[in-house]
Amino acid sequence: MDSSNDEALDIIVTNVVATFRTRCHLNLRTIALEGTNVIYKPEVGKVLMKLRKPMITASIWSSGKIICTGATSEDESKLGARRLARSLQKLGFKVRFSDYKVVNVLAVCSMPFAVHLIDFTKNNRPIASYEPELHPAATYRIKNLKATVQVFSTGSLTVTGPNVQNVATAVEQVYPLLFECQKPLCN
Amino acid sequence: MLSDKGPVAKLYLSIIDDVIDSMRELFLDEGLEDRVLDDLKQLWEAKMMQSKEMEDFRRNNINPCNFVLQLPVNYSQTDEELTASVMIPTGQNVHSFPAKNNPETLATFSLPAGLAYPVQIPAGVTLQTASGQLYKVNVPVVVTQAPAGHQPLTQPTQQVTEWREAPAPPLAVVPPSMIPSQEMEPRSVASVTATHLPPSQQGAPLQQTPALVSEGSQPQQSQPGDPEVTVENSEPSSQPANPSMASCSSSQLLDFHIDTEEALTQAQTLQATEMEEILKEVIKEESDDVVIASDITPPQTDNQSEAVVKLDLDYNYSELSEIVQLDGPADNSDIEKEEEVPLEENDFLGIINAEAIKALQEVDESSDGNSISSSSDSDGADELANVVEEDPLNSGDDVIEQDIPDLFDTDNVIVCQYDKIHRSKNRWKFHLKDGVMCYGGRDYVFSKAIGEAEW
Repeated sequence: MDSSNDEALDIIVTNVVATFRTRCHLNLRTIALEGTNVIYKPEVGKVLMKLRKPMITASIWSSGKIICTGATSEDESKLGARRLARSLQKLGFKVRFSDYKVVNVLAVCSMPFAVHLIDFTKNNRPIASYEPELHPAATYRIKNLKATVQVFSTGSLTVTGPNVQNVATAVEQVYPLLFECQKPLCN
Repeated sequence: MLSDKGPVAKLYLSIIDDVIDSMRELFLDEGLEDRVLDDLKQLWEAKMMQSKEMEDFRRNNINPCNFVLQLPVNYSQTDEELTASVMIPTGQNVHSFPAKNNPETLATFSLPAGLAYPVQIPAGVTLQTASGQLYKVNVPVVVTQAPAGHQPLTQPTQQVTEWREAPAPPLAVVPPSMIPSQEMEPRSVASVTATHLPPSQQGAPLQQTPALVSEGSQPQQSQPGDPEVTVENSEPSSQPANPSMASCSSSQLLDFHIDTEEALTQAQTLQATEMEEILKEVIKEESDDVVIASDITPPQTDNQSEAVVKLDLDYNYSELSEIVQLDGPADNSDIEKEEEVPLEENDFLGIINAEAIKALQEVDESSDGNSISSSSDSDGADELANVVEEDPLNSGDDVIEQDIPDLFDTDNVIVCQYDKIHRSKNRWKFHLKDGVMCYGGRDYVFSKAIGEAEW
């Protein structure tokens, strides 16, 4: 149910992770020596390149696979990825921007109420799990959306999903369930 | 060699000495003359001093040299021979001191490090300049260390006053009289670079003073012993022969540069009046010697029998920088440097553009090839996806030319080893060791350095 009645909940996307391929082998040493704003991690075998404009960090592997993290929106992520590929191209590599895919989107959201986690977990037994000794939040996994919602007793949420749309949908799905278990109400 | 800046320069010089000494055997084994090694050492030291000087110039605030070498007022008159005399900074008239004009020369004098000032150089001593030329001191010279922190800029009079009041009797070391002109000529080739460049203003009054003095009397040369020896720069027009030297050193080593500059005339004038007390000159009874280069470029030898060399703290900054360069980077003054920097940036951008163009061409070629191949290989959606993804990688999505293109073409460099470098998000922490930092034109040597930065 979409209890989006006046939700006006602010879902803030804090991180977008995307990958793409350059379709060419990359010489990490060359990138590390000549690239700008790079951190070379030879022990792992990757180079981190940071961009300022869309504030992103990219992990570059010699195979040509690149993971781009830190963007705050999907568009920004794509823009940053292209810029990154462009800068690699300028370093002399025959870069082809291909297979761009947003892998993960992380968003936070805050309920206007506190949540009673134990009740919430009891009500949503198989889907929600809560181990206070391990982690202070209850985890609610939405299979069809492939999204995970972590609910904290304060009412704060962190949502991770494959794209922004899924994340928004997940929040909408979870809202009514949380609403039932509001703290002041339930107990 | 005289080094200007204290500990770092001394360290460098000691390094040079160590290296040269350890190479001596190897050189001999190779069959090379010892002289070659010595020449190498001279060259190396000269370059190093120059670069340090240039950096200091850039830093501006060139601390006025602690040493002021004063030679009697303009020696421009080659005909007259002045007897060397030491001017005592007691207000005596410059006129009272006969001075020998040293012909225009540029001379670099280096006193061995570790000297405790004041230093007395008895007559008859032969000094060797950085360029290898020999100077014979016919007149006992006393070199003193002027109070540090002189600000040569824009306040010649004040400075002169300072000099006057210098606690330690400022000793002037007049560039030792040169040996016969023959040697002078080679000397003239070697340009003396002033370690500190006093402002032009001071240089000018300086010259005028001697000019005035010279008008009234014979050119005088300050005698060793007291206070400062100021190098006069003779105006090409009026005082072609005035050698001007600016010497500044904060350390024990001293570089004297004698050069003729117009700017110094004014400084000289101002100073001349007060110079009475300060003027010192080492004159050698024999003429020739100080060859004063009227030009910035390698000094021209205008040997004059009498040379009045004044080392003026108020040396003309820019002019000195122009004079200096034996070799090495062509940049002189700050202005020139600034001009050069943008050039460098432009060049860099030019390079980037060239690379960009190449990259573009590659992309275009590759993208064309790719699109063709991909479209032919993949079906429907894949085809579309590939095409869409590959085409667009053109300069349209440039990284904004690396935002902040002030891309560290700065001269602030650190060369060192690291103990630990740590980063959290965009906060960096550095634990460095055993390094040299060139910052603001100065070199700093450290065994340990800790830093923090935000990216």
